Amino acid sequence: MAELNQQVLNSLDDSSRQELMKFVEAENSKSKVQMSIHQFTNLCFKTCVTNKGPIFSGDLSVQEENCLANCVNRFLDTNIRVVQQLQNQQ
Amino acid sequence: MALFGSAAPQQNAVQASQARQQIQDQIAQELAVANASELVNKLTDNCFASCIANPGPSFSAQEDTCVNQCLEKYMRSWNVISRTYVARIQKASSSGELN
Repeated sequence: MAELNQQVLNSLDDSSRQELMKFVEAENSKSKVQMSIHQFTNLCFKTCVTNKGPIFSGDLSVQEENCLANCVNRFLDTNIRVVQQLQNQQ
Repeated sequence: MALFGSAAPQQNAVQASQARQQIQDQIAQELAVANASELVNKLTDNCFASCIANPGPSFSAQEDTCVNQCLEKYMRSWNVISRTYVARIQKASSSGELN
């Protein structure tokens, strides 16, 4: 991987600096979403697949697929509810 | 470098945009590596827990099959979760829930 040296940073002008900021912001939110998906998959795979028994197939059953979708949605509902409750207590 | 006085402004702009591209490529690549290694870690955790109940002296054929199936299932699960989550974010942002 090419090294980011001072010379490269120095040759940035204002407009490329601005574009770079936009790029970093976009990549940052993309990365946050990806990391959340990792977290949810880790949680919901346990809830919907491995905790239900041994794995016999690489495919997802209809039940597993529904369970996974419900799992994310209920997790997010729980998250929203927790925030609401904490806000109410203030 | 500059035969006639200092470097032309145009040349500086080209250099700046090349530098920006280089930095962007590097950021994108590092994030891709972080994403891939997160996937590898989570996959290994889940499939090890699910397939290797009693670690033996070698990787048995059953364990091998189980790990392969687990891997496929996990990737499919990742896609289902991704679709569901992105749809939810879009729904929430269009209804103003996020503001």
